[in-house]
Amino acid sequence: MNVVTARFGEINVDESKVINMRGGIIGFEHLKKYILHIQDEKNPFWWFQSLDDDKVAFVVINPFVAKADYEPVIDDNDSKFLEIENAEQVVLLTIVTILKNPFSVSVNLRAPIVINAEKRIAKQIILEDQTYPVKYYLTVGSGDNAAATGDSERNKCDAASL
Amino acid sequence: MLILTRKLGESITIGDDIKIIFLETKGKQVKLGIEAPAHIAVHREEIYQLIREQNIQAVKVDCIEKETLPDILAGLRNLLLKDQRKL
Repeated sequence: MNVVTARFGEINVDESKVINMRGGIIGFEHLKKYILHIQDEKNPFWWFQSLDDDKVAFVVINPFVAKADYEPVIDDNDSKFLEIENAEQVVLLTIVTILKNPFSVSVNLRAPIVINAEKRIAKQIILEDQTYPVKYYLTVGSGDNAAATGDSERNKCDAASL
Repeated sequence: MLILTRKLGESITIGDDIKIIFLETKGKQVKLGIEAPAHIAVHREEIYQLIREQNIQAVKVDCIEKETLPDILAGLRNLLLKDQRKL
């Protein structure tokens, strides 16, 4: 089916790929249906686009790309809620925050989106483990985690360059 | 706001499905038991607000014009891949 989005215009969506956020994204509980939109196959940053509100789309990433040793614990209640029977059914996504001044990119490792890919149901859970931060920085010079080294100048996003 | 006083061991019900039980006090802390159906999320208020705020910031995808964002994401991809090769 074709869906109109604010950011991408009209996109073609496979109905069998729709994800039902049975537990909504926190603060957006009224929005239930989402689609994972991959704009660039070579890029690990994807889009979690709401089908209920065309203006709502989150940048998401597989958390293991950001932190290879990420080990979130999904409790029994959430497992039951998402009808998870085995680990193969589970896909994790984390929400990326990109800010302008100063430029920074962080990933929310504390509240991942847990998806039962087989049943197409999902929920944003909040981990009990406080070692995973709400803002895990990927950019240099911000936050308190050891960020990747890299050419942050190339990524600078300021009003003048837009 | 509804204000109720309970003794330890007593409970409060909310709607048909939610129950809060006052289990124990320890100095300034109160231990509460919460019974609620799985589809109702129960969280400590401050962490709930923190996550909610973060989600709201994330959805704005701020300055970023539709045209520039793919370039920024491409730059970030290189950043991450550079790190992965180190591992």
